[in-house]
Amino acid sequence: MNPALQGLMTIAVGVGGCLAYFYFSNLVLDRFIFPARGAQAGRNINRANMVRPWLFVFPAFFFLLLYLGYPVFETLRLSLTDRALGGAFVGFANYEQMMNEPKFWEAMRNNMLWLIVVPAASTAFGLLAAQLTDRIGWGNIAKSLIFMPMAISFVGASVIFKLIYEARPVDAAQIGVMNAVWLNFEGGIWSFIFLRVFPAILCGAFAVIAAYVGYLAARPLWEDRPGPREGVMMKGARAFLGLFGLWLAWVSVRGVWGVLTASLPYGEPINWLTLPFYNNFLLMVILIWIQTGFAMVILSAALRGIPEETIEAAIIDGAKPLQLFFQIKVPQIMGTIVVVWTTITLVVLKIFDIVFAMTNGQWETQVLANYMYDKLFRANDWGVGSASAIVIMALVTPILVWNVHNARKEMR
Amino acid sequence: MADPGILGSTLPAADAVRERLSGPHGPRPKRALSGTNIMLYGTLLIVAMYYLLPLYVMLVTSVKGMPEIRLGNVFSPPMEITFQPWVKAWAEACTGINCDGLSRGFWNSVRILIPSVILSIAIASVNGYALSMWKFRGSELFFTILILGAFIPYQVMLYPIVIMLREAGLYGSLTGLVLVHVVFGMPINTLLFRNYFAAIPSELFKAARVDGAGFWGIYFRIVMPMSLPIFVVALIIQVTGIWNDFLFGVTYISSPERYPMTVQLNNIVNSVQGVKEYNVNMAATLLTGLVPLVIYFASGRLFVRGIAAGAVKG
Repeated sequence: MNPALQGLMTIAVGVGGCLAYFYFSNLVLDRFIFPARGAQAGRNINRANMVRPWLFVFPAFFFLLLYLGYPVFETLRLSLTDRALGGAFVGFANYEQMMNEPKFWEAMRNNMLWLIVVPAASTAFGLLAAQLTDRIGWGNIAKSLIFMPMAISFVGASVIFKLIYEARPVDAAQIGVMNAVWLNFEGGIWSFIFLRVFPAILCGAFAVIAAYVGYLAARPLWEDRPGPREGVMMKGARAFLGLFGLWLAWVSVRGVWGVLTASLPYGEPINWLTLPFYNNFLLMVILIWIQTGFAMVILSAALRGIPEETIEAAIIDGAKPLQLFFQIKVPQIMGTIVVVWTTITLVVLKIFDIVFAMTNGQWETQVLANYMYDKLFRANDWGVGSASAIVIMALVTPILVWNVHNARKEMR
Repeated sequence: MADPGILGSTLPAADAVRERLSGPHGPRPKRALSGTNIMLYGTLLIVAMYYLLPLYVMLVTSVKGMPEIRLGNVFSPPMEITFQPWVKAWAEACTGINCDGLSRGFWNSVRILIPSVILSIAIASVNGYALSMWKFRGSELFFTILILGAFIPYQVMLYPIVIMLREAGLYGSLTGLVLVHVVFGMPINTLLFRNYFAAIPSELFKAARVDGAGFWGIYFRIVMPMSLPIFVVALIIQVTGIWNDFLFGVTYISSPERYPMTVQLNNIVNSVQGVKEYNVNMAATLLTGLVPLVIYFASGRLFVRGIAAGAVKG
């Protein structure tokens, strides 16, 4: 059969089926089950009205349960069985096996790296872009260009960045953007500025931000503030965040030192994607490139929503631009920043396409979602694969619960 | 210099005269090259390079010939523009044994896209309407399930759905993939529609009721015409989401004949045989991104809204 015709048939059958279901089930309810006539007309109308919503929601409900509810439990069950033994129950053997694989821990480590870097960088760049583009005349054009990567698929973005990281043999002309730029550095003053000072500043800025965020999170622990008292859980989370920020700051300060002293192989092309550990960051750059537009758009709307009076008052009180930004604007849009951050975190935890298309987890770039795909569809090991899916689920759950809580609050 | 104060008595001419007499006034003009401005433009330049360079390189490379690319000069504009790479990416590039380029993937994607978008929007809008119209026992539960469904990572359901599709005889077929897209797009879209419909004043519904409109009458004559923006937003979410999807395509389609465009793009780029043709790869990327990009430039603000609303899904 002609494929176009086939598509049309699918649509016709699908939409027609749905409409027919809605229409006829409604009809049956009104005419035959609870007819609005006879002795019990009033009671029947009430009953029909009680049942009707379920009639309409039922197909969605059914498919959601079938396709979303059941698979979650099935994955949980599969993670406790072994395919090689014909699906026999093996308890936590799969998890044990997974824990003993270095590749799994590599994936965990990389996921944590992604989790720290990508949401932070995307949100920070998004905030920066939102603030800067609001101040210039052609800001809207800049905005629409920065947002454009959101329209390109992750795979498409990966293909572009493959070209950027491309390396060719020493004697051939370099095609990859990174290597073309890299070969211009010979170790002179500009190399010093661009490859040492600049990254060092970036790293140092990250250290400051991490320490500051940690400080902000932990501050209520020793400050007395009006408001409801916080539980032990909340206090623990604050203490953890504070310590974590401190640790991150320490790591990045060490990174500054490392950048300043590392010996760089000037003059020869580098195979960027095979540099262990650092290639993770090169992959993260792709996701940051994509997600900044999203962060920018949401944060820009939030920035516009800040009441003018607060800004005017601050200016009259003599606030400098930086003070104005960090002490007046940022605190007022903190809620939005958190939402953007968590949304990007959700994306990051499930990151798959980019790693799959760029390195497929080679050279120490494995992440959980790709590890799972490897196990399920290449090694055909549903036990360990499902176990890693459950790990992803467990990592997502805190944000999930928080999101559900918020969404329900919003919709009341 | 005369004191401008005494001129205050001759009011009509005062402003003009004062301007002459008191010299420059008003806020001090800003210097074009102040420290803040240098920092502002410097940062903007770096940010712009990071975001635009990849797009620029993609575009430029896709219209260069291979000999020109081999010379290096990544950033230079093409010496002569050739659309050969585009033609090759569309009709000749090889994946495995098939050498008919992206066109196959494009038509597959279209055949996946159209039914799944229409179906999911039809179902989701009716559900959202039903949810917003009635508050019934159990609607809270349904609601929570919807929100959970919108947020749960797809990875958790990936494999059991393979089993289910296989048992239904749909594994590897486009119909199976359409079904998956419809179901997974439903939670977020239903929530969107429900929120939008809930904001419609209930008096309108009551008035329509009094005028004799039933459930469907209200839906088609009151709700739908009023809610065009949300339909467009849902359309954008679904079209870009489904078009750019990779995970489902690579998981639920078993034969290269039926791969959607994104999967085929990945296969073309990663195929190991022969020389790497960068220009064909870039042209293929552009071709793959064409549908969402066209929608983006055509719909502007609504696109941004759609992406922002759809960003939360699993």
